[in-house]
Formats: sequence, structure tokens, C-alpha cells
Amino acid sequence: MQDGASYQELSRRYGFAPKPESASRLTQLVSRQDSDLDEIAKVIDKDPVLRKRLLRVANPDAENEIEYAVETVEDALMRNGMGCVLVLAMGTPLALALTKTFQTMLALKLEMIDPNEAEPLQGEHLLGTIHFSGKVVGQVYLRMSIDSGNAVAAGILGLSPDELTDTNEIRDAAGELLNIMTGNFKSNLCDAGLDCRLQTPEVKLSTDFRTPIVPGGGVERMALRAGKIHLFVDVTANPWND
Amino acid sequence: MPIKILSVDDSRTIRLIVGRSLRPYDCILCEAANGEEGLAVAVREKPDIILLDVTMPVMDGVTMLTKLKEDPELKAIPVIMLTAESGRDNVIHIARLGVRDYLVKPFKEDQLIDKVGRVVALKKKETAAPAAASVPI
Repeated sequence: MQDGASYQELSRRYGFAPKPESASRLTQLVSRQDSDLDEIAKVIDKDPVLRKRLLRVANPDAENEIEYAVETVEDALMRNGMGCVLVLAMGTPLALALTKTFQTMLALKLEMIDPNEAEPLQGEHLLGTIHFSGKVVGQVYLRMSIDSGNAVAAGILGLSPDELTDTNEIRDAAGELLNIMTGNFKSNLCDAGLDCRLQTPEVKLSTDFRTPIVPGGGVERMALRAGKIHLFVDVTANPWND
Repeated sequence: MPIKILSVDDSRTIRLIVGRSLRPYDCILCEAANGEEGLAVAVREKPDIILLDVTMPVMDGVTMLTKLKEDPELKAIPVIMLTAESGRDNVIHIARLGVRDYLVKPFKEDQLIDKVGRVVALKKKETAAPAAASVPI
């Protein structure tokens, strides 16, 4: 069967939720290698959440806003370049996909918190990684405590944490969470012209907290919380891998 | 005759959610963990509808859909995509191959039932049963 409908028509037909405009616009701007920094600064300045996150990325050693040495969007862009803006643009659909997944499948409200204020993970934890490659190359890391992993898997499967005895079910649920997050952000990248492919997610128990940064790229660290469940998401990316 | 539904997804979690959603209905759930297995189960079971993921190992959902539509015995089986990928080019390509509907993950169970119910006549079971009948991979 041939279907010549446009994406807009198909979105309506299938009932797709609208995508966040600032993230789409930002990804489109970054995907053009000749983009004007002023144009990007205007988009970020209009979105208080993006602005806050950019300044946090630009001041990695500061423990709070008072310690920020870089205080404006323009300075942050000059110092950190496009790789940093790209991970910010990608982080938005990732965080939204996670939030929506929790709301839809676990009936829990997930909120973003300042990673500096989150209680740090310690020792053995659940680590999910997924690699993407194409015009943009990078990796998404999802970390959570074993207790959080149990609670997430139980919530998704409609069980109580005590009923979960199979560690494969916990890993599979964490992998699906990662899949849903990255599938959404991959769509955002592809729509902006940064075509890429996802590898199958890998979930394992780990004591490794390192997030290797792609040479010349950026990294964004996010922390999210819903009750006792804490999630840590790192995104690394390097655009224009031609 | 119960409706026969094939769920093709590499995530056991999603297959369990699909099974739980369909439990109140008179249907037989068949499962496959990738496109290659999905095609084999489709040939064997001739399902009334297929729920198909995109990103899977061995054979992805787009390849399975292409092969399904090339097969005279299988091409009329309605397919609903069940995937986290809603990128413009992917959606347009998949629509051109021929799918009945598209559900983006994460999804609510009633959204799934609504979309499946628009394609096949889902009937509630008359008596409560412990679990939906299922055909293992």
C-alpha cells in the first residue's frame, strides 16, 4: 500500500504528541555547521531550563550559581562551543522521554534535580549504556542503585519489588527504559538532519562511575528523582562525524 | 475464535506489558524477540494482527515489515508499530510500506487496547481466567 501522506498528516493520524519546539529548533541550528552563535543564544535565552543547564555545563566545578564564573549564555557558548549545545539539545528530549515514561508506565512524577544536589551513587549499581553513531557519535549512560532498579522494574511490570526474583527482568526493564529514552532523542536528532543509528542497549552491574567523553565533544549530566528512585543520566556527543 | 495477536519486540518487558494489557480479552498472544523469529511465527500462526517494534537485533522491524509485505500469504495482516522511534523519515518510510497504526513508546495500556481494538474486534472474556493464553517463542 502506498501512503503519500506528509509527516504532519501522519502525526495527526497516529496521534503523536508534539515535540518540544526549543529542543528541535536548537538541534536544527546546531546541525548546521555555519550557525550563528547569536541565533543559538536567542533560542537558549527564551528557555529558562535550557539556559540554566547551559550555565551549569559551562561551570563544571561550581557547586552553586553563586560560584559561576561564566554567567551569560553568550560567554558559555564562546567557551564551550557547539558540542556542548548539542548535548543540551539532546538532553531535553531524553529527560522528557524519561519523565513521560515514568508518568505513563509507573504513574510516578519524575523531576529533574541539580546533579550537585543529588545524593551520589555509591558502590555497585545498575549501569545501562547505549551507543549511537552516524553524523553524531556518542553514548548515553543511565545509572541507578540496585534498589531503584528493582523499584523501576516492579513498577513497569505492575509487581511489588518483593515479587521480582529474576535479575534478568530488572535488567530488561532498565534496558527498555534506556531504549525508550534514546529512541525519542534519536528521532529528534534525525529530524534535525543528524542521522544516526542506535545499538542495542547493554545493562550490567558496575562499580564504574566514569563517563568517557568523546574527543572534542560535550557531556551533560542530569539527575532525576521520583520518591526514593534516583536516576543519573550522562550524555556524551560529538557532532559532524563525517 | 479468539483473536490471534503477534507481539514482536526484543524487550521481554514490553511483551509482558502487551500480555498484561490483553489479559482481559479473548485472544491468543504469540511472541517473537526479533524480526526473523517474527516472520517464522507469522508464517506458522497466521496472526490477525502484528504489534511490531523497530530497533531489534538480528532483524529489525522495518526489514520484517518489508518482507511481510512482499509475501502474498502475509501481506494482508495488519501491523501496528510499537516503537520509541518517531523520527520523520522513519515514520514516512514505514507508512509507505503499509502499517495500520503507530504507537510511540511509552504508551498506556488503554492506548494499546484502543488501537488494537480499531483493527480487530477485541471481546472481553466472559469468565475471569488467570492469564491470557500465549504461544511461546
